[in-house]
Amino acid sequence: MSIYKDAKYMDVPYEEKQKLFQEVKDDMRWDTTLYGCYECGICVAACPSARFYDFSPRVFAQIMAREDVDTFYELLNDSVWDCSQCFSCTRCPRQNNPGTIITIMREVAVNHGLSSAKKALQAYSRIIYKIMSTGTQVAPDMLQPDFFPDWGPDVKAVSENLDVWRRAIPPETMHTTELAWDVSEKTRLELYMIWKLTGNLEMIEKIDEGIFMILEEVMEELLDEHGYDIDDFENVLED
Amino acid sequence: MPNLPILVIGGGPAGLEAARGIADLGYNAILVDKAEFLGGTPISADYAAITPDMRNTEEAMNEMIEKVTDNPLVDIRLNTIVTASEGEAPNLNVTLKNGKGDETINVGSIVVATGFQHFDPGKETQMYGYYEYDDVITLVDAERMLKAGDFVRPSTGEKPKQVCFIQCVGSRDRQIGNFWCSKVCCGIATKEAIEIRHLLPDCRVFVFYIDMRMYGFWEDELYWKAQEEYKVNFIRGIVTEITQRGDTVVVKGEDTTMGRPMEVPMDVVILSVGMEPSEGTKEMSKIFDIPLESHGFIETIGGALNTVETQVPGVFAAGATTGPADLEDSISTGGSAAMKSCAFVRKADLKLA
Repeated sequence: MSIYKDAKYMDVPYEEKQKLFQEVKDDMRWDTTLYGCYECGICVAACPSARFYDFSPRVFAQIMAREDVDTFYELLNDSVWDCSQCFSCTRCPRQNNPGTIITIMREVAVNHGLSSAKKALQAYSRIIYKIMSTGTQVAPDMLQPDFFPDWGPDVKAVSENLDVWRRAIPPETMHTTELAWDVSEKTRLELYMIWKLTGNLEMIEKIDEGIFMILEEVMEELLDEHGYDIDDFENVLED
Repeated sequence: MPNLPILVIGGGPAGLEAARGIADLGYNAILVDKAEFLGGTPISADYAAITPDMRNTEEAMNEMIEKVTDNPLVDIRLNTIVTASEGEAPNLNVTLKNGKGDETINVGSIVVATGFQHFDPGKETQMYGYYEYDDVITLVDAERMLKAGDFVRPSTGEKPKQVCFIQCVGSRDRQIGNFWCSKVCCGIATKEAIEIRHLLPDCRVFVFYIDMRMYGFWEDELYWKAQEEYKVNFIRGIVTEITQRGDTVVVKGEDTTMGRPMEVPMDVVILSVGMEPSEGTKEMSKIFDIPLESHGFIETIGGALNTVETQVPGVFAAGATTGPADLEDSISTGGSAAMKSCAFVRKADLKLA
Protein backbone atom coordinates (compact mmCIF):
# COMPACT_ATOMS: atom_id res chain seq x y z
CA MET A 1 0.00 0.00 0.00
CA SER A 2 1.33 3.41 -1.00
CA ILE A 3 2.50 5.74 1.72
CA TYR A 4 0.95 8.66 -0.17
CA LYS A 5 -2.53 9.88 0.40
CA ASP A 6 -2.74 11.00 -3.26
CA ALA A 7 -1.46 7.71 -4.70
CA LYS A 8 -2.37 6.78 -8.29
CA TYR A 9 -2.97 3.39 -9.95
CA MET A 10 -4.26 1.86 -6.75
CA ASP A 11 -6.61 -0.30 -8.88
CA VAL A 12 -3.60 -2.14 -10.35
CA PRO A 13 -2.82 -5.23 -8.24
CA TYR A 14 0.31 -4.88 -6.11
CA GLU A 15 1.62 -8.20 -7.44
CA GLU A 16 1.62 -6.81 -10.99
CA LYS A 17 3.61 -3.76 -9.88
CA GLN A 18 5.95 -5.91 -7.84
CA LYS A 19 6.65 -8.15 -10.85
CA LEU A 20 7.70 -5.19 -13.03
CA PHE A 21 9.72 -3.71 -10.15
CA GLN A 22 11.58 -6.97 -9.72
CA GLU A 23 12.31 -7.12 -13.43
CA VAL A 24 14.01 -3.72 -13.20
CA LYS A 25 16.04 -4.84 -10.19
CA ASP A 26 17.03 -8.09 -11.89
CA ASP A 27 18.63 -6.23 -14.77
CA MET A 28 22.35 -6.98 -15.00
CA ARG A 29 23.18 -3.25 -14.88
CA TRP A 30 21.25 -2.65 -11.67
CA ASP A 31 24.00 -3.26 -9.11
CA THR A 32 26.12 -0.40 -10.41
CA THR A 33 23.19 1.88 -11.21
CA LEU A 34 21.77 2.73 -7.81
CA TYR A 35 23.18 2.77 -4.30
CA GLY A 36 21.28 5.04 -1.89
CA CYS A 37 19.82 8.48 -2.51
CA TYR A 38 20.46 11.66 -0.49
CA GLU A 39 17.53 13.32 -2.24
CA CYS A 40 19.92 16.25 -2.63
CA GLY A 41 18.75 17.27 -6.11
CA ILE A 42 22.15 17.59 -7.77
CA CYS A 43 20.84 15.42 -10.64
CA VAL A 44 17.77 17.59 -11.08
CA ALA A 45 19.87 20.74 -11.14
CA ALA A 46 21.95 19.23 -13.94
CA CYS A 47 18.98 17.87 -15.90
CA PRO A 48 17.87 19.69 -19.08
CA SER A 49 14.50 17.91 -19.12
CA ALA A 50 13.78 19.08 -15.59
CA ARG A 51 13.99 22.67 -16.84
CA PHE A 52 11.13 22.15 -19.26
CA TYR A 53 8.97 19.39 -17.85
CA ASP A 54 7.57 18.37 -14.52
CA PHE A 55 10.30 15.75 -14.42
CA SER A 56 12.89 14.79 -11.82
CA PRO A 57 15.66 12.20 -12.08
CA ARG A 58 15.97 12.48 -8.28
CA VAL A 59 12.52 11.00 -7.82
CA PHE A 60 13.56 7.90 -9.78
CA ALA A 61 16.63 7.41 -7.62
CA GLN A 62 14.89 8.01 -4.33
CA ILE A 63 11.80 5.93 -5.06
CA MET A 64 13.82 3.01 -6.40
CA ALA A 65 16.27 3.19 -3.48
CA ARG A 66 13.34 3.14 -1.07
CA GLU A 67 11.87 0.17 -2.95
CA ASP A 68 8.55 1.99 -3.07
CA VAL A 69 6.76 -0.32 -5.49
CA ASP A 70 3.56 1.72 -5.77
CA THR A 71 5.34 4.94 -6.64
CA PHE A 72 7.67 3.06 -9.00
CA TYR A 73 4.56 2.06 -10.95
CA GLU A 74 3.45 5.69 -11.14
CA LEU A 75 6.84 6.66 -12.57
CA LEU A 76 6.81 3.76 -15.02
CA ASN A 77 3.49 4.97 -16.38
CA ASP A 78 4.11 8.68 -16.31
CA SER A 79 7.37 10.56 -16.27
CA VAL A 80 9.70 7.75 -17.39
CA TRP A 81 9.31 9.10 -20.93
CA ASP A 82 10.25 12.70 -20.11
CA CYS A 83 14.01 11.99 -19.85
CA SER A 84 16.26 12.94 -22.74
CA GLN A 85 18.85 10.29 -21.77
CA CYS A 86 21.75 12.75 -21.75
CA PHE A 87 23.16 11.34 -18.47
CA SER A 88 24.01 14.72 -17.01
CA CYS A 89 22.53 13.24 -13.83
CA THR A 90 25.52 10.95 -13.30
CA ARG A 91 27.38 13.64 -11.32
CA CYS A 92 25.78 12.09 -8.20
CA PRO A 93 27.85 12.03 -4.96
CA ARG A 94 26.60 8.51 -4.24
CA GLN A 95 27.54 7.46 -7.78
CA ASN A 96 23.95 6.71 -8.71
CA ASN A 97 22.96 6.76 -12.36
CA PRO A 98 19.34 7.96 -12.63
CA GLY A 99 19.57 7.95 -16.45
CA THR A 100 20.26 4.23 -16.47
CA ILE A 101 17.45 3.57 -13.97
CA ILE A 102 15.24 5.19 -16.59
CA THR A 103 16.79 3.22 -19.47
CA ILE A 104 16.07 -0.03 -17.66
CA MET A 105 12.55 1.05 -16.68
CA ARG A 106 11.79 2.04 -20.28
CA GLU A 107 12.90 -1.35 -21.50
CA VAL A 108 10.61 -3.03 -18.99
CA ALA A 109 7.74 -0.73 -20.03
CA VAL A 110 8.30 -1.54 -23.70
CA ASN A 111 8.73 -5.28 -23.11
CA HIS A 112 5.40 -5.35 -21.37
CA GLY A 113 3.71 -3.12 -23.94
CA LEU A 114 2.57 -0.67 -21.27
CA SER A 115 0.21 1.95 -22.65
CA SER A 116 2.63 4.70 -21.56
CA ALA A 117 5.29 3.16 -23.81
CA LYS A 118 2.89 2.87 -26.71
CA LYS A 119 1.81 6.45 -26.33
CA ALA A 120 5.34 7.76 -25.99
CA LEU A 121 6.56 5.92 -29.07
CA GLN A 122 3.52 6.64 -31.25
CA ALA A 123 5.09 9.72 -32.80
CA TYR A 124 8.19 7.72 -33.68
CA SER A 125 6.51 5.05 -35.86
CA ARG A 126 8.05 6.36 -39.04
CA ILE A 127 11.48 6.70 -37.49
CA ILE A 128 11.30 3.19 -36.04
CA TYR A 129 10.35 1.86 -39.45
CA LYS A 130 13.16 3.70 -41.18
CA ILE A 131 15.84 2.75 -38.69
CA MET A 132 14.79 -0.86 -38.56
CA SER A 133 14.47 -1.30 -42.31
CA THR A 134 17.40 0.84 -43.49
CA GLY A 135 19.51 1.87 -40.53
CA THR A 136 19.08 5.53 -41.42
CA GLN A 137 16.82 8.04 -39.80
CA VAL A 138 16.55 11.62 -41.07
CA ALA A 139 16.35 11.74 -44.90
CA PRO A 140 17.24 14.76 -47.06
CA ASP A 141 13.69 14.98 -48.46
CA MET A 142 12.39 15.61 -44.98
CA LEU A 143 14.00 19.04 -45.18
CA GLN A 144 11.11 21.01 -46.55
CA PRO A 145 10.81 24.73 -45.91
CA ASP A 146 7.35 24.36 -44.36
CA PHE A 147 8.68 22.03 -41.72
CA PHE A 148 11.78 24.00 -40.86
CA PRO A 149 11.02 27.71 -41.21
CA ASP A 150 13.72 28.50 -38.69
CA TRP A 151 16.39 27.12 -41.00
CA GLY A 152 16.13 30.17 -43.24
CA PRO A 153 15.62 30.78 -46.96
CA ASP A 154 18.34 28.40 -48.20
CA VAL A 155 16.25 25.38 -47.28
CA LYS A 156 13.78 26.35 -49.96
CA ALA A 157 16.49 26.64 -52.62
CA VAL A 158 18.03 23.34 -51.61
CA SER A 159 14.76 21.45 -51.43
CA GLU A 160 13.67 22.60 -54.88
CA ASN A 161 16.70 20.99 -56.51
CA LEU A 162 17.51 18.44 -53.89
CA ASP A 163 18.71 15.81 -56.33
CA VAL A 164 21.28 18.21 -57.84
CA TRP A 165 22.54 19.41 -54.48
CA ARG A 166 22.94 15.85 -53.24
CA ARG A 167 24.93 14.88 -56.30
CA ALA A 168 27.32 17.73 -55.55
CA ILE A 169 28.47 15.84 -52.45
CA PRO A 170 31.65 13.87 -53.32
CA PRO A 171 30.88 10.37 -51.92
CA GLU A 172 28.53 8.57 -54.23
CA THR A 173 26.76 6.92 -51.33
CA MET A 174 25.38 10.34 -50.43
CA HIS A 175 23.66 10.86 -53.76
CA THR A 176 20.34 9.99 -52.22
CA THR A 177 17.19 11.92 -51.45
CA GLU A 178 14.95 9.44 -49.69
CA LEU A 179 17.65 8.04 -47.46
CA ALA A 180 20.46 9.80 -45.62
CA TRP A 181 22.89 7.59 -47.50
CA ASP A 182 22.77 4.64 -49.79
CA VAL A 183 22.22 1.41 -47.90
CA SER A 184 23.05 -1.88 -49.55
CA GLU A 185 20.49 -4.61 -49.45
CA LYS A 186 22.98 -6.84 -47.66
CA THR A 187 23.26 -4.26 -44.88
CA ARG A 188 19.48 -4.05 -44.62
CA LEU A 189 19.18 -7.80 -44.36
CA GLU A 190 21.90 -8.05 -41.75
CA LEU A 191 20.24 -5.30 -39.76
CA TYR A 192 16.94 -7.09 -39.91
CA MET A 193 18.57 -10.27 -38.67
CA ILE A 194 20.15 -8.38 -35.79
CA TRP A 195 16.78 -6.89 -34.77
CA LYS A 196 15.24 -10.33 -34.97
CA LEU A 197 18.00 -12.17 -33.14
CA THR A 198 18.26 -9.66 -30.32
CA GLY A 199 14.52 -9.66 -29.64
CA ASN A 200 14.02 -6.07 -30.76
CA LEU A 201 11.52 -7.10 -33.41
CA GLU A 202 9.46 -8.87 -30.80
CA MET A 203 9.57 -5.75 -28.63
CA ILE A 204 8.26 -3.64 -31.52
CA GLU A 205 5.47 -6.13 -32.09
CA LYS A 206 4.23 -5.46 -28.57
CA ILE A 207 4.48 -1.72 -28.78
CA ASP A 208 3.38 -1.02 -32.39
CA GLU A 209 1.84 -3.94 -34.21
CA GLY A 210 1.15 -1.96 -37.38
CA ILE A 211 4.78 -1.03 -37.90
CA PHE A 212 5.83 -4.54 -37.04
CA MET A 213 3.58 -6.02 -39.73
CA ILE A 214 4.77 -3.66 -42.45
CA LEU A 215 8.40 -4.20 -41.47
CA GLU A 216 8.06 -7.94 -41.49
CA GLU A 217 6.28 -7.98 -44.83
CA VAL A 218 8.79 -5.72 -46.57
CA MET A 219 11.86 -7.37 -45.14
CA GLU A 220 10.75 -10.95 -45.62
CA GLU A 221 9.99 -10.14 -49.24
CA LEU A 222 13.53 -8.85 -49.58
CA LEU A 223 14.81 -12.04 -48.01
CA ASP A 224 12.77 -14.09 -50.47
CA GLU A 225 14.12 -12.07 -53.40
CA HIS A 226 17.62 -12.94 -52.34
CA GLY A 227 16.70 -16.52 -51.78
CA TYR A 228 17.39 -16.52 -48.08
CA ASP A 229 15.55 -18.72 -45.67
CA ILE A 230 14.20 -16.67 -42.75
CA ASP A 231 15.26 -19.27 -40.24
CA ASP A 232 18.70 -19.72 -41.68
CA PHE A 233 20.55 -16.65 -40.39
CA GLU A 234 23.98 -18.06 -40.71
CA ASN A 235 24.18 -18.19 -44.48
CA VAL A 236 23.09 -14.55 -44.61
CA LEU A 237 25.81 -13.49 -42.24
CA GLU A 238 28.47 -15.59 -43.98
CA ASP A 239 27.47 -14.35 -47.44
CA MET B 1 48.81 16.47 52.13
CA PRO B 2 50.10 14.86 48.98
CA ASN B 3 47.97 12.83 46.65
CA LEU B 4 44.52 13.79 47.79
CA PRO B 5 42.04 11.56 45.95
CA ILE B 6 39.94 12.79 43.06
CA LEU B 7 36.22 12.28 43.29
CA VAL B 8 34.50 11.03 40.14
CA ILE B 9 30.74 11.39 40.29
CA GLY B 10 28.90 9.03 37.96
CA GLY B 11 29.95 5.59 36.76
CA GLY B 12 28.84 5.80 33.13
CA PRO B 13 31.22 5.79 30.16
CA ALA B 14 32.71 9.24 30.95
CA GLY B 15 33.10 8.56 34.69
CA LEU B 16 34.59 5.11 34.12
CA GLU B 17 37.13 6.50 31.67
CA ALA B 18 37.96 9.37 34.06
CA ALA B 19 38.48 6.98 37.01
CA ARG B 20 40.60 4.65 34.91
CA GLY B 21 42.68 7.58 33.63
CA ILE B 22 43.24 8.95 37.13
CA ALA B 23 44.39 5.53 38.36
CA ASP B 24 46.62 5.03 35.31
CA LEU B 25 48.30 8.33 36.10
CA GLY B 26 49.01 7.04 39.60
CA TYR B 27 46.44 9.06 41.51
CA ASN B 28 43.65 7.85 43.74
CA ALA B 29 40.09 7.98 42.47
CA ILE B 30 36.86 7.63 44.39
CA LEU B 31 34.11 6.64 42.00
CA VAL B 32 30.55 7.10 43.21
CA ASP B 33 27.32 6.12 41.53
CA LYS B 34 23.77 6.31 42.79
CA ALA B 35 22.95 2.95 41.20
CA GLU B 36 23.95 -0.42 42.53
CA PHE B 37 26.01 -1.12 39.43
CA LEU B 38 28.53 0.60 37.18
CA GLY B 39 28.05 1.36 33.49
CA GLY B 40 25.60 4.25 33.65
CA THR B 41 22.77 4.78 31.20
CA PRO B 42 23.95 2.21 28.63
CA ILE B 43 23.42 -0.43 31.31
CA SER B 44 20.50 1.03 33.26
CA ALA B 45 18.52 1.66 30.06
CA ASP B 46 19.37 -1.78 28.62
CA TYR B 47 21.09 -0.62 25.44
CA ALA B 48 21.43 -3.56 23.08
CA ALA B 49 24.43 -2.49 21.03
CA ILE B 50 26.56 0.61 21.13
CA THR B 51 26.54 3.17 18.32
CA PRO B 52 28.28 3.12 15.91
CA ASP B 53 30.37 -0.02 16.51
CA MET B 54 27.29 -2.20 17.08
CA ARG B 55 29.20 -4.05 19.75
CA ASN B 56 27.20 -5.74 22.48
CA THR B 57 26.73 -3.03 25.11
CA GLU B 58 27.21 -5.20 28.17
CA GLU B 59 30.38 -6.68 26.76
CA ALA B 60 31.74 -3.23 25.87
CA MET B 61 30.81 -1.66 29.19
CA ASN B 62 32.16 -4.63 31.16
CA GLU B 63 35.47 -4.08 29.45
CA MET B 64 35.47 -0.53 30.86
CA ILE B 65 34.21 -1.61 34.28
CA GLU B 66 36.93 -4.26 34.62
CA LYS B 67 39.56 -1.53 34.35
CA VAL B 68 38.36 0.09 37.58
CA THR B 69 37.15 -2.82 39.68
CA ASP B 70 39.89 -4.56 41.67
CA ASN B 71 42.07 -1.56 40.90
CA PRO B 72 43.82 -0.58 44.16
CA LEU B 73 43.75 3.09 43.14
CA VAL B 74 39.99 3.19 42.54
CA ASP B 75 37.64 3.21 45.50
CA ILE B 76 34.16 2.37 44.18
CA ARG B 77 31.11 3.50 46.13
CA LEU B 78 27.80 2.25 44.73
CA ASN B 79 24.30 3.16 45.94
CA THR B 80 25.90 6.43 46.93
CA ILE B 81 24.99 10.05 46.25
CA VAL B 82 26.78 13.34 46.85
CA THR B 83 24.78 15.59 49.15
CA ALA B 84 27.07 18.48 50.11
CA SER B 85 30.43 20.09 49.56
CA GLU B 86 32.45 22.50 51.65
CA GLY B 87 35.67 24.36 51.00
CA GLU B 88 37.63 24.89 47.82
CA ALA B 89 39.73 22.56 45.70
CA PRO B 90 42.30 21.22 46.38
CA ASN B 91 40.80 20.92 49.83
CA LEU B 92 37.18 19.93 49.46
CA ASN B 93 35.08 18.18 52.05
CA VAL B 94 32.37 16.29 50.24
CA THR B 95 29.55 14.49 51.96
CA LEU B 96 28.54 11.13 50.56
CA LYS B 97 25.34 9.40 51.53
CA ASN B 98 24.43 5.76 51.23
CA GLY B 99 22.17 3.29 52.96
CA LYS B 100 24.43 3.23 56.00
CA GLY B 101 24.49 6.99 56.49
CA ASP B 102 26.66 10.00 55.73
CA GLU B 103 30.40 10.14 55.29
CA THR B 104 32.56 13.17 54.61
CA ILE B 105 35.64 12.70 52.47
CA ASN B 106 38.48 15.05 51.75
CA VAL B 107 39.27 15.31 48.02
CA GLY B 108 41.60 17.39 45.87
CA SER B 109 39.51 17.66 42.72
CA ILE B 110 36.17 16.64 41.23
CA VAL B 111 35.04 15.15 37.95
CA VAL B 112 31.30 15.48 37.45
CA ALA B 113 30.04 12.81 35.07
CA THR B 114 26.38 12.68 35.93
CA GLY B 115 25.27 12.77 32.32
CA PHE B 116 21.89 13.12 30.73
CA GLN B 117 18.39 11.74 30.88
CA HIS B 118 16.18 10.76 27.98
CA PHE B 119 13.54 13.29 26.98
CA ASP B 120 10.13 12.41 28.38
CA PRO B 121 7.89 12.03 25.29
CA GLY B 122 4.92 13.12 27.37
CA LYS B 123 6.33 16.63 27.06
CA GLU B 124 6.32 16.79 23.24
CA THR B 125 4.00 19.30 21.64
CA GLN B 126 3.00 17.22 18.61
CA MET B 127 0.31 14.62 19.07
CA TYR B 128 2.23 11.38 19.24
CA GLY B 129 0.32 9.85 22.14
CA TYR B 130 3.22 8.04 23.80
CA TYR B 131 1.21 7.51 26.96
CA GLU B 132 -1.95 6.79 24.97
CA TYR B 133 -0.97 4.15 22.40
CA ASP B 134 0.84 0.93 23.32
CA ASP B 135 2.52 0.77 19.91
CA VAL B 136 4.12 4.19 20.24
CA ILE B 137 7.44 3.64 22.00
CA THR B 138 10.82 5.37 22.35
CA LEU B 139 14.35 4.56 21.20
CA VAL B 140 14.95 3.37 24.74
CA ASP B 141 11.96 1.00 24.74
CA ALA B 142 13.11 -0.33 21.38
CA GLU B 143 16.65 -0.92 22.73
CA ARG B 144 15.18 -2.98 25.52
CA MET B 145 13.31 -5.23 23.07
CA LEU B 146 16.31 -5.48 20.77
CA LYS B 147 18.49 -6.46 23.70
CA ALA B 148 16.06 -9.27 24.43
CA GLY B 149 16.31 -10.19 20.74
CA ASP B 150 12.57 -10.01 20.29
CA PHE B 151 11.11 -6.98 18.56
CA VAL B 152 7.31 -7.08 18.68
CA ARG B 153 4.20 -4.89 18.66
CA PRO B 154 3.62 -4.14 22.33
CA SER B 155 -0.16 -4.24 21.84
CA THR B 156 -0.30 -7.77 20.43
CA GLY B 157 3.09 -9.36 20.95
CA GLU B 158 3.19 -10.08 17.20
CA LYS B 159 6.02 -9.36 14.81
CA PRO B 160 5.50 -5.95 13.16
CA LYS B 161 5.28 -5.57 9.37
CA GLN B 162 5.74 -1.80 9.24
CA VAL B 163 7.75 0.27 11.69
CA CYS B 164 8.84 3.91 11.72
CA PHE B 165 11.12 6.19 13.65
CA ILE B 166 10.27 9.85 14.21
CA GLN B 167 13.42 11.90 14.70
CA CYS B 168 14.08 14.97 16.85
CA VAL B 169 11.43 14.28 19.49
CA GLY B 170 12.31 16.72 22.26
CA SER B 171 15.24 18.17 20.33
CA ARG B 172 15.59 21.19 18.04
CA ASP B 173 12.24 22.47 19.20
CA ARG B 174 11.55 26.05 20.22
CA GLN B 175 8.07 25.14 21.45
CA ILE B 176 9.53 22.76 24.00
CA GLY B 177 12.50 24.99 24.76
CA ASN B 178 15.08 22.38 23.80
CA PHE B 179 16.94 24.19 21.04
CA TRP B 180 19.79 21.72 20.74
CA CYS B 181 20.42 18.72 18.52
CA SER B 182 20.94 15.67 20.72
CA LYS B 183 23.70 14.43 18.41
CA VAL B 184 23.20 10.69 18.81
CA CYS B 185 19.55 9.98 17.92
CA CYS B 186 20.18 9.88 14.14
CA GLY B 187 22.87 7.28 14.62
CA ILE B 188 20.95 5.29 17.21
CA ALA B 189 17.73 5.24 15.17
CA THR B 190 19.72 4.13 12.11
CA LYS B 191 21.45 1.45 14.15
CA GLU B 192 18.13 0.22 15.53
CA ALA B 193 16.61 0.31 12.03
CA ILE B 194 19.39 -1.98 10.83
CA GLU B 195 18.85 -4.28 13.82
CA ILE B 196 15.10 -4.47 13.17
CA ARG B 197 15.60 -5.22 9.47
CA HIS B 198 18.17 -7.83 10.40
CA LEU B 199 15.79 -9.45 12.89
CA LEU B 200 12.66 -9.07 10.74
CA PRO B 201 13.58 -9.05 7.03
CA ASP B 202 9.91 -8.74 5.99
CA CYS B 203 9.32 -5.64 8.09
CA ARG B 204 9.47 -2.30 6.28
CA VAL B 205 11.28 0.37 8.27
CA PHE B 206 10.91 4.13 7.79
CA VAL B 207 12.84 6.98 9.38
CA PHE B 208 11.09 10.35 9.27
CA TYR B 209 13.67 13.09 9.73
CA ILE B 210 14.44 16.80 9.44
CA ASP B 211 18.14 16.31 8.63
CA MET B 212 20.09 13.12 9.10
CA ARG B 213 23.16 14.09 11.13
CA MET B 214 25.53 11.27 10.38
CA TYR B 215 28.88 12.91 10.89
CA GLY B 216 32.26 11.32 10.33
CA PHE B 217 32.29 7.60 9.73
CA TRP B 218 28.67 7.24 10.83
CA GLU B 219 27.86 8.34 7.28
CA ASP B 220 28.88 5.24 5.38
CA GLU B 221 29.16 2.82 8.28
CA LEU B 222 25.60 3.42 9.49
CA TYR B 223 23.61 5.58 7.10
CA TRP B 224 24.74 4.18 3.75
CA LYS B 225 24.64 0.69 5.22
CA ALA B 226 21.05 1.16 6.39
CA GLN B 227 19.98 2.56 3.03
CA GLU B 228 21.91 0.35 0.68
CA GLU B 229 22.13 -3.00 2.45
CA TYR B 230 19.06 -2.91 4.68
CA LYS B 231 16.74 -0.80 2.49
CA VAL B 232 15.66 1.41 5.35
CA ASN B 233 13.46 4.23 4.03
CA PHE B 234 14.70 7.64 5.11
CA ILE B 235 12.00 10.18 4.37
CA ARG B 236 12.48 13.88 4.97
CA GLY B 237 9.39 15.08 6.76
CA ILE B 238 8.28 15.00 10.37
CA VAL B 239 5.07 13.38 11.50
CA THR B 240 2.58 15.85 12.87
CA GLU B 241 0.27 13.45 14.64
CA ILE B 242 -0.46 9.83 15.32
CA THR B 243 -4.01 8.57 15.37
CA GLN B 244 -5.61 5.22 15.88
CA ARG B 245 -7.31 3.46 12.96
CA GLY B 246 -8.69 0.04 13.70
CA ASP B 247 -5.99 -1.78 15.58
CA THR B 248 -3.05 0.14 14.11
CA VAL B 249 -1.72 3.62 14.56
CA VAL B 250 -1.50 5.94 11.56
CA VAL B 251 1.22 8.54 11.10
CA LYS B 252 0.45 11.68 9.16
CA GLY B 253 3.09 13.87 7.59
CA GLU B 254 4.56 15.27 4.41
CA ASP B 255 7.28 13.71 2.29
CA THR B 256 8.97 17.04 1.72
CA THR B 257 11.31 16.02 -1.10
CA MET B 258 8.38 14.52 -3.00
CA GLY B 259 6.04 17.29 -1.91
CA ARG B 260 3.33 14.72 -1.23
CA PRO B 261 1.09 14.13 1.79
CA MET B 262 1.54 10.84 3.62
CA GLU B 263 -0.76 8.78 5.77
CA VAL B 264 0.83 5.51 6.71
CA PRO B 265 -0.41 2.80 9.07
CA MET B 266 2.35 1.57 11.36
CA ASP B 267 2.57 -1.43 13.63
CA VAL B 268 5.16 0.26 15.83
CA VAL B 269 6.22 3.92 16.00
CA ILE B 270 9.53 4.70 17.69
CA LEU B 271 10.06 8.22 18.99
CA SER B 272 13.70 9.26 18.77
CA VAL B 273 13.87 11.04 22.08
CA GLY B 274 16.81 13.31 22.72
CA MET B 275 18.94 14.21 25.70
CA GLU B 276 18.29 16.54 28.61
CA PRO B 277 20.52 17.28 31.58
CA SER B 278 19.93 14.58 34.21
CA GLU B 279 18.61 15.32 37.68
CA GLY B 280 22.05 14.41 38.99
CA THR B 281 23.68 16.97 36.70
CA LYS B 282 21.33 19.71 37.89
CA GLU B 283 21.89 18.63 41.51
CA MET B 284 25.71 18.71 41.15
CA SER B 285 25.56 22.20 39.68
CA LYS B 286 23.85 23.31 42.88
CA ILE B 287 26.08 21.43 45.30
CA PHE B 288 29.34 22.56 43.69
CA ASP B 289 27.96 25.93 42.63
CA ILE B 290 28.81 25.35 38.96
CA PRO B 291 27.00 27.68 36.55
CA LEU B 292 24.84 26.08 33.86
CA GLU B 293 25.05 27.14 30.25
CA SER B 294 21.95 28.48 28.49
CA HIS B 295 20.55 25.03 27.63
CA GLY B 296 20.71 23.83 31.22
CA PHE B 297 23.82 21.65 31.05
CA ILE B 298 26.96 22.32 33.11
CA GLU B 299 28.99 25.06 31.49
CA THR B 300 32.60 24.59 30.50
CA ILE B 301 34.75 27.67 30.16
CA GLY B 302 37.04 26.98 27.27
CA GLY B 303 34.55 26.66 24.43
CA ALA B 304 35.88 24.30 21.81
CA LEU B 305 39.39 24.47 23.29
CA ASN B 306 38.61 23.29 26.78
CA THR B 307 35.68 20.96 26.99
CA VAL B 308 35.99 19.83 30.61
CA GLU B 309 36.96 22.78 32.84
CA THR B 310 34.15 24.56 34.73
CA GLN B 311 34.15 28.00 36.30
CA VAL B 312 34.82 26.39 39.67
CA PRO B 313 38.58 25.75 40.13
CA GLY B 314 39.39 22.07 40.45
CA VAL B 315 35.91 20.97 39.35
CA PHE B 316 35.73 19.34 35.92
CA ALA B 317 32.86 17.88 33.94
CA ALA B 318 32.79 15.10 31.36
CA GLY B 319 30.40 13.31 29.04
CA ALA B 320 26.79 14.38 28.51
CA THR B 321 27.00 16.46 31.69
CA THR B 322 28.07 19.41 29.56
CA GLY B 323 25.71 18.83 26.64
CA PRO B 324 24.56 16.11 24.27
CA ALA B 325 27.39 13.65 23.73
CA ASP B 326 27.95 10.39 21.95
CA LEU B 327 30.15 7.63 23.33
CA GLU B 328 33.23 8.93 21.54
CA ASP B 329 32.69 12.38 23.08
CA SER B 330 32.07 10.90 26.52
CA ILE B 331 35.16 8.72 26.53
CA SER B 332 37.31 11.54 25.16
CA THR B 333 36.15 14.08 27.70
CA GLY B 334 36.41 11.47 30.47
CA GLY B 335 40.07 11.04 29.60
CA SER B 336 40.60 14.76 29.30
CA ALA B 337 38.99 15.38 32.70
CA ALA B 338 41.25 12.69 34.26
CA MET B 339 44.35 14.40 32.89
CA LYS B 340 43.23 17.89 33.94
CA SER B 341 42.10 16.87 37.43
CA CYS B 342 45.40 15.04 38.06
CA ALA B 343 47.30 18.07 36.80
CA PHE B 344 45.27 20.27 39.14
CA VAL B 345 46.09 18.07 42.15
CA ARG B 346 49.75 17.83 41.16
CA LYS B 347 50.14 21.58 40.79
CA ALA B 348 48.55 22.06 44.21
CA ASP B 349 50.90 19.44 45.70
CA LEU B 350 53.94 21.13 44.20
CA LYS B 351 52.87 24.49 45.57
CA LEU B 352 52.45 23.04 49.03
CA ALA B 353 55.74 21.14 48.91
